[in-house]
Amino acid sequence: MIASAFKLSVWVVSLATILVGVSGTAFGFLLAKREFQGKELLDSVLTLPMVLPPTVTGYYLILLLGRSGLLGRYVYQLTGWSVAFTWQAAVIAATVMAFPIMVKSARAAIASVDSRFEVASFSLGKGELETFFRITLPLALRGLIAGLVLSFARALGEFGATLMLAGNIPGKTQTMPLAIYEAFISGDDREAQMLAVILTATSIAVIYITNVLSRPLKSA
Amino acid sequence: MLTVDIKKGFQNNGRQSFLLDVSFTVRQGFTVLFGPSGSGKTTTLRSIAGIVAPDQGKVSLNGQAYFDSSAGLNVPIQRRRVGFVFQEYLLFPHLTAEANVVYGARSGKNREKRKRASELLELFGIGYVRDRYPRELSGGEQQRVALGRAMASDPAVMLLDEPLSAVDVSTRARLLDEFVEIQKRLGVPFVHVTHSPADAIRTGDWIVIMDQGRIAQQGLPLDVFNSPRSLPLARAIGTENVFSGTVIHQSASDGISLLDLQGCRLAAAYNGLVEGTRMTVGIRSEDIIICRERITQTSARNLLPGVVKTLEIEGNKITVAAACGVDFRVSITRQAVDDLDLRPGVTVYLLIKASACHTLA
Repeated sequence: MIASAFKLSVWVVSLATILVGVSGTAFGFLLAKREFQGKELLDSVLTLPMVLPPTVTGYYLILLLGRSGLLGRYVYQLTGWSVAFTWQAAVIAATVMAFPIMVKSARAAIASVDSRFEVASFSLGKGELETFFRITLPLALRGLIAGLVLSFARALGEFGATLMLAGNIPGKTQTMPLAIYEAFISGDDREAQMLAVILTATSIAVIYITNVLSRPLKSA
Repeated sequence: MLTVDIKKGFQNNGRQSFLLDVSFTVRQGFTVLFGPSGSGKTTTLRSIAGIVAPDQGKVSLNGQAYFDSSAGLNVPIQRRRVGFVFQEYLLFPHLTAEANVVYGARSGKNREKRKRASELLELFGIGYVRDRYPRELSGGEQQRVALGRAMASDPAVMLLDEPLSAVDVSTRARLLDEFVEIQKRLGVPFVHVTHSPADAIRTGDWIVIMDQGRIAQQGLPLDVFNSPRSLPLARAIGTENVFSGTVIHQSASDGISLLDLQGCRLAAAYNGLVEGTRMTVGIRSEDIIICRERITQTSARNLLPGVVKTLEIEGNKITVAAACGVDFRVSITRQAVDDLDLRPGVTVYLLIKASACHTLA
């Protein structure tokens, strides 16, 4: 049970971190560098999963993606498949829950890049995309990595929304936090302890890495 | 050839507070855009580069239109062939000096870009900074890397926005001479924004003086500085007499440097420059005394005979222009004008202390 939960968690969290990293950076850029109507409203909506109880977010995800959900029904009609109670659901739940942290971090990191550097890049004949990847991204990198590490931690600890959308199926959707709950409920203290130790060690490592990354560098 | 003819209004609380309205042409050589802070120099430069858009008018470079309000044309900065050197340099902090210059190159293989970057750094005499990061460079070095980066993009005109404001005075003079040298070697016209009269005289083949959003006067730098055509212009360039000269004799023991201003000689406070050095000297118009008679027995080291050309009256402050080989401007009070019976054509003697002759660059 520990091994399968560990493997599933690693897989789910890795995928979720990649998804969050890309989409969160994109939205962070949009919010940091572009002016448009309803910008702060968009920020509020994107931040919602951070504020709502995870079970509420999970409930919304069911309403959206479940077999008879707003989007889910079309997927079901077309393919006969529904995301609910699959490992993909665990990825979606983890992604949605970690997303606000990444957007917030990315927005702050990208906004902190002096836009005059971007103007300097434009003046050298470089386009928006090249400027983003060669100037903005490297200059915001430390903040982005810190955001990524926090998102990773959030995805790893994800419980409520996962339980709602993916259920708690051992070997299929049972990630480590869910396995701890199950082990504890069924009186398997030893297993709960081991899982708890693994998660704690991971969390300490994550906080440590974040602190190191957010410390100003002495050189380079 | 760069032609600029633009208007841009700025609002403050819904009321138009400032109107930029300039029209000028940049040909070969070193053009200086000169004026006090807030005169619109930087906005003009940014309009040429495409960093800001004017309200109306035209900007074109070598026959290609970059901005034309009547045609709704505004070529984005990326596609204008302008090299921009920013006041704060804005070197990319995550790239080495060489990588900054390489980044500027528009096309070519990586190896060719690096070769070109090395050449530019060598040309500017800073080949040794290649692998250093911007924060490890002095102001002068950053300045030259920024110039190299802009040059690497193969611009048809170079725009320099007060690029020397962060460099100390002695380095400044040397860098300015290098700029002029580099401009000659590269053949690309330079437009240099500055509010320093000394910088303007040292570099400019042509000077465009701006005041309150308009062009007050343009011409050869020394002509413009020493015969400002209007009161606003005189205000813009300050009450400074600025001359370009050569050190012809140095006497450390007497504390005197003798300067040739091409028209008259001036004894200035000892400045330690090598004889033969070209330099710029400034004398505040308040520091000059006018006498009607040749007096002797004075501590002032300069007694220059001359003729009053004009009297400019602004309130109770009067500026006398006197021709003494070169033209000096002298600020005096109305009472002094009356007591000395000063009017155009009368002979005067200007009394100037050596220590009032400041070496500007």
